[in-house]
Amino acid sequence: MKAKKLAALALGLGTACMTVAGLGMAASAEEGKKEVVIWDYFETDAQKQMMQTLIDGFNESQDEFTASHTYVPFADYEKQLTLGIASGQLPDLVILDGCGMASFIQLGLFGDISDADINWDEYIAGPLESTMMDGKHYGIPFATNCTALYYNKDLFDAAGVAYPDENTTWDDFREMAKALTKDGVFGFGNAATNTDEGTFQCLQWLYTAGGSYTDIESGVDAYTLMQEMIEEGSWTKECVNWTQSDVNNNFMAGNIAMQQNGPWQIPGIEANAPDLNYGVTVLPKRNADAGQATSILGGENMGVVNKEDMSGAKAFLQYYDQTDVMVEAMKLYGSYPPKTEAAKDSYWTDDPIQKAFLTQIETSIPRGPSALWPSYSSAIQTGFQEVMTSAKTPEQAAADTQAAVDAIG
Amino acid sequence: MAERHTRYAYKEGHAMKRKRKLAGGAKMGFLFALPAAVYMLVFIGYPMIQNLILSFKNVDVFSFAQPQNQKFIGFQNYIELFTSSNSILTKSIINTLIFTVGSIFFQFIIGFGLALLFNKKFPGCSFFRGMTMISWLLPVTVAGLLFKFMFASSGGIINQFLMALNLIDAPMEWLLKPGTAMVAIVIANIWIGIPFNMMLLITGLTTIPADIYESCSLDGANKVQTLFKITIPMIKPAIMSVLTLGFVYTFKVFDLVWVMTKGGPINSTELVSTYAYRLSFEEFQFSKGAAAANVLFLILLVVGIFYIKLINEEEESM
Repeated sequence: MKAKKLAALALGLGTACMTVAGLGMAASAEEGKKEVVIWDYFETDAQKQMMQTLIDGFNESQDEFTASHTYVPFADYEKQLTLGIASGQLPDLVILDGCGMASFIQLGLFGDISDADINWDEYIAGPLESTMMDGKHYGIPFATNCTALYYNKDLFDAAGVAYPDENTTWDDFREMAKALTKDGVFGFGNAATNTDEGTFQCLQWLYTAGGSYTDIESGVDAYTLMQEMIEEGSWTKECVNWTQSDVNNNFMAGNIAMQQNGPWQIPGIEANAPDLNYGVTVLPKRNADAGQATSILGGENMGVVNKEDMSGAKAFLQYYDQTDVMVEAMKLYGSYPPKTEAAKDSYWTDDPIQKAFLTQIETSIPRGPSALWPSYSSAIQTGFQEVMTSAKTPEQAAADTQAAVDAIG
Repeated sequence: MAERHTRYAYKEGHAMKRKRKLAGGAKMGFLFALPAAVYMLVFIGYPMIQNLILSFKNVDVFSFAQPQNQKFIGFQNYIELFTSSNSILTKSIINTLIFTVGSIFFQFIIGFGLALLFNKKFPGCSFFRGMTMISWLLPVTVAGLLFKFMFASSGGIINQFLMALNLIDAPMEWLLKPGTAMVAIVIANIWIGIPFNMMLLITGLTTIPADIYESCSLDGANKVQTLFKITIPMIKPAIMSVLTLGFVYTFKVFDLVWVMTKGGPINSTELVSTYAYRLSFEEFQFSKGAAAANVLFLILLVVGIFYIKLINEEEESM
C-alpha cells in the first residue's frame, strides 16, 4: 500500500492533492479585482497577525488586486509545493525557507520577474543570492535571521562564571560549558535532529572551523569539539533528537545554560518565561586571532509562481519592497528585514539582544545555494550525528562525509 | 457402481446448471463488478504503472520541469540504489526486516496469550478486552509522540522506571544510539499491533467447537497438549492470516518511525518507506524514490501472492 500511496503522491493524484486544490480555491475574490493567493506556513499568533496586517495594507493600497493567504503546515510544505507543480494547483506567491528556493527554481515552480520594479541593490547580498539563478530574479527575500548564543544569566551567576561575549573563543566556551554542567543542568545544547533543521544549526561550527559544505575535512576541528564536549557531558547528547523548539523549551526550563538559537524564539520566551534572565551574544570564535564566528542565514523568501499573469504577485512584492512596510512587518515577525538600511531601525539597534543578532548576521552565509542542497544537507547531517553519537572518530566521520558530499556534486 | 454413476450424473447436471446460470447472469455480474474494477484501474492501477515508468526514467530536480530531458535509463536507478555508496537502500531493507520480524514475533506471542485469556469468561472480561483496543485505536502519530517522550534519556518514564528497579545505574540513551533506537521503535510498534493480533486470534478461537475440548479432557489431555494438539492446529488458518497481514502492515510502517526518529540516528531506523519518502519529497529524486517504493512493493507482492495462495488453499479444503 505504501508503494501505491507514494506512487499516487508522486503523480499528483490522491487526496493530498485535492486538499491543495481546495485550499487554492478557498480564497474569495472581490468583484472585479484580480486575486493574489499567497501560501505560508506561519503558525504563531504574531506571525499570523503580521501576514494579516501586510495583506490588509496591500489591499487598501491599490484597487486592482485583492490578496489572501493560505496556511499549509511546515511539515508538508515542500511536498505540497511539489504536488502542486505536478497538478498545476498553485498559489500566485509562495513564502518559503530560503535554502529550499534554489531547488524549486530548478523544479520550474518560479517565474522570472527580473523586470519587476524592485530596488534590488538595497538587499543584503546573501539572502538576495538565494532568490536568484543564472542572474535572473525569481522573488525577493522576505525575512532574514541567523542563530546566535543565548545564555542564562542566573545560571552563570550561580556558577560564578563570566558571561560569554564577542571575544569568547572555543576554548573559553568549552570551559564555561564544563563549569555550568552540574545538578542536572547541561552547559550547552543545540538542534542536531536528522533533518535540515539540524544542518542549519550544526553547519556553522564546520564553517567557523574553516570548512564549508563542500569541504568537510577542513572543518574536522568542529567534529572534535562536538564529540569531546558531548563525551564530557557539557554539550547535551539529547540534541541529536532535538528540534529548535525543543532546544528553546529546555533553555526556558533551565535544563541548559546556553543554547544556539534564532531571534524568532524571543516572543515565545517573553510569553512563556517572562522572568527568564538571559542575554544573547555572537557565537564563539575559533581562537583569539580569528574573526567573528560564521553563522548560517535563515529566513524566508517570497517566490513568484510561474504563471502567464504574474502582475498581482509582482505588485505584492513591490508593496513589500517599501522599507517602512518591511520594517513594520518584521517587528511583528521577530526577524530582520533583508535590506541593509532597513535593519538599522532603532527598534533593533537600541535593544542589546536584537543588536547581537544583527552583529551575527554580518558574518552569516546562506546554505548552498544549490538545487541539490537537500542531498548535501542530508549527507552533512549524517556526519554530525555520527560524531555526536561517537559512532565514528572525527577523522573517520570527516573522511566519510567528504566522500558522501563529493558523490553529490 | 450404480450409485457412483448417479452421483456423477448429478454432479454433471449441477455443473451445467451453474454454467447456464453464469451465462445468463454474466452481464449483471460484470455490471456489479464494474465500479470496483474502475476504482482499481484509476486509483491503483494507473498510479502503479506510472510509478513503474517513473522509476525507469531520470526525473530529478534538474529534469522535472524539462520533459524533453526526461529519458528512459533502464534499471540505472535500481542499480544505483543497490550499489552507490550514498544509497542506504540495502541498509533500509535490512532495517525493515529486523523491524518487521521483531515486531511480529512479540505481537503474535503476546496477542495469542491475550486471546487465550480473553477467550475465557470472567468478570469484566469484555471491559478489559475493550481497553486493550485503545492502542489500536490511537492515531499512530500520537502513539509515536508518546513513546518518544517515554524513551527520552532525561526525564523519560521508561528510564525512571528501570532506575527505580535498579536494573540500570544511569539513564539509557534509547533514541540516541543506533541499536537501542531500533529496539525502541520495535517496542512502540509491538504495543500498537497487539490488539490486531489478539482480535483476529479470538475470532479464530471462537470457531473451535466446545465439544472438542470436552472430548479432549475426557481422553485425559493436559493443558499444554490441548494447546499444541487442538487449539493451534484448529486455528492455523487464522494464525497464517495474522502473520501474513501483520507482515504486510508492519513492512510498510511509515508514520511511527517518522515521528519517533525520522530514520535516525545515523540512518539506523531508516525503513524502505521512510527512505522512499526522503528521496522523493526531500531530495527531489523522484525516479529514485519511485524505484525504492517499487522495491518495497515487490517484496510485499511476494508476501501478498503467498497470502492469496493460502486463502485459496483454505477455501478448497473447506
